[in-house]
Amino acid sequence: MSEKEKTLNPDPGVCVPWEVKKAEIGEFPGNEAITKKEWEKLDDFAYNFIWFWAQR
Amino acid sequence: MNEKEMLYQKRLERYITAMDCGKPDMVPVAFGVGEWITKYTGTTLQEIYYDLDKSTDVVSEMLPGLDFDIFKGGPALWWPPMFDAMGSKLYKFPGIGVDENSTFQFNEQEYMKAEDYDEFIASPTEWLVNHYLPNISTELENPGSYRSTVALIKGAAAFAMQGGIMAAAWGKWTVENGIVGQGTGFTKAPFDTLGDALRGMKGVLLDLRRRPEKVLAACDAITPHNVNCGLAGPGADTRFPCFAPLHRGAYPFLNPKQWDTFYWPSLKATIEGMWAKGKRMLFYAEGDWTPYLEKILELPDKSIVFQIDTTDAKKAKKILGGRFCLQGGVPTTLLTYGTPEKVKEHIKRTFDELAYDGGFILDTGGVVMGDAKKENAIAMIEAARKYGIY
Repeated sequence: MSEKEKTLNPDPGVCVPWEVKKAEIGEFPGNEAITKKEWEKLDDFAYNFIWFWAQR
Repeated sequence: MNEKEMLYQKRLERYITAMDCGKPDMVPVAFGVGEWITKYTGTTLQEIYYDLDKSTDVVSEMLPGLDFDIFKGGPALWWPPMFDAMGSKLYKFPGIGVDENSTFQFNEQEYMKAEDYDEFIASPTEWLVNHYLPNISTELENPGSYRSTVALIKGAAAFAMQGGIMAAAWGKWTVENGIVGQGTGFTKAPFDTLGDALRGMKGVLLDLRRRPEKVLAACDAITPHNVNCGLAGPGADTRFPCFAPLHRGAYPFLNPKQWDTFYWPSLKATIEGMWAKGKRMLFYAEGDWTPYLEKILELPDKSIVFQIDTTDAKKAKKILGGRFCLQGGVPTTLLTYGTPEKVKEHIKRTFDELAYDGGFILDTGGVVMGDAKKENAIAMIEAARKYGIY
């Protein structure tokens, strides 16, 4: 199993936690808050798409 | 503030006052444009379901001149092109699987097997992605393949497209007609999430005897996700309730002991979790919930709007009235088999019995089916305004 395939057990509203992505990026020279905010918005969209199919 | 904006504010206040168990200036009225509209527009149900522009146009043409408060939405509950893109096995839609004028059918299967419980409980979202989506989607049968990847791109794009189109339509309906949307967010009882789409009715009922501890653990694992789904994301609106269609909790799917053990604790926790964040649930109690009215009193005051379908309405008023707003009062069958005169008589009686001290929203008991008559739906609104002034 590769690092990216490890079980994440994400919280509600989350698919891939920002902390996981941030650790993969490593050094962060810019404004982390800007990138984190947009990552989490799209992550939340993906979460809602996934759970939509289970909440029919 | 223009005329429509003032109308919106008035209707909003009416809605919120009733949800808080108060007595507004008149009984708020909820209304939706159901599948019945196709009989009057020369369109097939397939056109209405597939073509979002046509579906929203039909609603836009219907709304002007109708005096009601709370809008429940248009005739198409789902957008089949998204399901087609994924090769979804979940439904048969009008024109694909069933006749072009037949309503959709749910294809219930055990999409989650009994042996999947542990992995699902350990990480529900990951299990849904890794196993459930491929199980319910023919296009995803070979994850990582060309067809699978394209299907996921198309499915997610369709989800966003539909969201954008419907948000614009709701904005237009609100601005042009001064009506208030019924709610934001969508959730379910955890037992229903498990029993509807994952294990299916047969699977979950067998599980109650063969692996009850797994059912309870799965419901516990689903609960925080259902709180999140109901809240519709962090920082989302809390003025309006989230819609929660409740299925297997209706009597007599489960016996009272099973209901107490398997259905109620996680539903109650979902409602309490949402209410802690200020979000109310439209407790859409489909079917008969009369035996459980006393248990519902365990919930925090005003944390739900209780939908009366075939629940004994007078008992619901006696037991829940004053603690929770009640919504309903018009049997869906009355709109199909009744006449405008009978609808009006019924609404007058309903107001006398259920609305006299506030905390009541007039609505149909359940989802209005395609065989309802337009003249009865209009009669419902007109009678509500005639008899609904406090």
